[in-house]
Amino acid sequence: MVGFLEGLKVTLKTAGRKPVTAQYPEPEKRLEVQDRYMGFPALTWDGDVSEPYCTGCMVCIRNCPTQCMSAQMKDNPLHAEGKSRRRKIIDEFEINLGRCILCGICVDVCNFDAIEMSHEHELSKYERNGNRVDLSALLEMGQRYQDSTGWQPKQPEKNSGVPPPPKEPAKKAEPIELAQVSREAVEHRKAVMRARAAERRSSQGEERMDDTTQPGQSET
Amino acid sequence: MTLTQGIYIAIGAAVLLVFLSVMVLALTWLERKALARIQMRMGPMRVGFHGALQPIADAMKLVSKEDILPSWADRRVYWLAPLAVFIPAFLLWVTIPVARDVALANLDLGLFYIVAISVLSVMGLVMAGWSSANKYAMLGGLRAAGQLVSYEIPFIMAILAVAMLAQTLNLRHIVEAQSTFAYVLFLPLSLFLFLTAGLAELGRTPFDIHHAESEVVGGPFVEYSGAHWAVFFLAEYINTFTIAALTALLFLGGWGWPTMPFDGLLHSALSVLWFMVKTYAVILVIFWIRGTYPRLRIDQLMAFGWKLLVPLSFINIVLVGVVMFYGWPLWVLSLLSVITLAITFYIIARSAGTRMERNTVTVYNAASLRR
Repeated sequence: MVGFLEGLKVTLKTAGRKPVTAQYPEPEKRLEVQDRYMGFPALTWDGDVSEPYCTGCMVCIRNCPTQCMSAQMKDNPLHAEGKSRRRKIIDEFEINLGRCILCGICVDVCNFDAIEMSHEHELSKYERNGNRVDLSALLEMGQRYQDSTGWQPKQPEKNSGVPPPPKEPAKKAEPIELAQVSREAVEHRKAVMRARAAERRSSQGEERMDDTTQPGQSET
Repeated sequence: MTLTQGIYIAIGAAVLLVFLSVMVLALTWLERKALARIQMRMGPMRVGFHGALQPIADAMKLVSKEDILPSWADRRVYWLAPLAVFIPAFLLWVTIPVARDVALANLDLGLFYIVAISVLSVMGLVMAGWSSANKYAMLGGLRAAGQLVSYEIPFIMAILAVAMLAQTLNLRHIVEAQSTFAYVLFLPLSLFLFLTAGLAELGRTPFDIHHAESEVVGGPFVEYSGAHWAVFFLAEYINTFTIAALTALLFLGGWGWPTMPFDGLLHSALSVLWFMVKTYAVILVIFWIRGTYPRLRIDQLMAFGWKLLVPLSFINIVLVGVVMFYGWPLWVLSLLSVITLAITFYIIARSAGTRMERNTVTVYNAASLRR
């Protein structure tokens, strides 16, 4: 009987607590996604030269277990103008988010810090193909992710698109007379050869002993 | 009966129907909210302010759903069953007063009438179960019959104690008899019996074995859908409201205790309000119990009814009779009631065993069972 009353007490207590429900679609009442959350992949944007990090190298596409991506590269017009270090740049990129299994392999294999698992996680769309997102949408997703987390490339010195400062002309070496150099070299060579021959003559006996005894030992 | 009288009765019945429908809508909303809060949820939030219009949306959905008739069903009985459940539930309210001057008909045998009519709804449940041509519906219907018939005895006996004390069967006079002290003070044992048996009569948790979803998948209502199912639903909630209202009238002093001031219309309005407050308090307790306890097994239910509630209800009658026969003051009755309740709880606690014993599961092997 005490158990019955205890039960009533428990339910009364929980009735006084604040509900744990989050009202989902309203932006101000929903729960925030954690920083570590791994949502759908998105492409990152290099703000320094205002172009994507992605060069369209196809590594992520070849490694995707569900083959949900496709991409096309092109020559980078900014490189031609000398504004970027990237020779090639992404032209078209498409991810079918409905197929993506959020494994993160594309992020692991990317050499250019160009793809990241963003915080996007809502898939509801009105069209059947609404989840096939193109390059601009992917970059938008990536921009949102970069803004909300303050994302920085992992290898900035390698992957930055900022072109290196124009090379200074190489320092001129002091002029040397070629004939003199070659004569000195020949003299030096001759001296070395002479020294070696003298050494060989003086230690000939020992060397021969060594030469014969060592293989003899191994034969017997 | 003159024509005007007939018109008045028709208007009264219509008003009652609207009143009950609104109460049912409020009740479904309140139940969902109360259960949600107990489970730390929010309940309906979308339709209207905090889901206030949710019951209307639900009702519209139910009415617009397809009505299905199973091909093996007994057609006439199948369509009649919802009415056989709903009409008694509605008829009960003919005599229940919500204020001193607000009742459709003030019957002198009001309490007797209520007892007689409330049993009728069992008939509808059995009809629904039988005519659905479905084994679960059949089992549910028969379970309902067994349960309601066995809990009818403590239910009536608890009411009888009140009638003995008030010396009348007229509900208005019973309420007026409580204007100084509500009967809950003298008859806590009766209240306990009445609420417990009332819950069983309603088929609410923890006594909802006749439409236990996990066993008989909805009992007599398995095959019903749409508007006909809605009628069953309506009847069930009207019955819940009735039990709560009767508790308020018989034990909590109804609109009296304390009697509302003023006269005329203002008095009636205040009385109705006060009565509703008490009724809804009882309803909240019913929902609270629903949110707390799991369903009883059918053998537990029968054992609880016949071994505990029936003997207790007879003891209760004897106590009231003795006190009234010797003309002892009424506080003796309340003392005796409390002592009996305490002894009962002690016996229940003892029979359940210590916590250690209750939480131990004994495992038998097949050989020992065969012996």
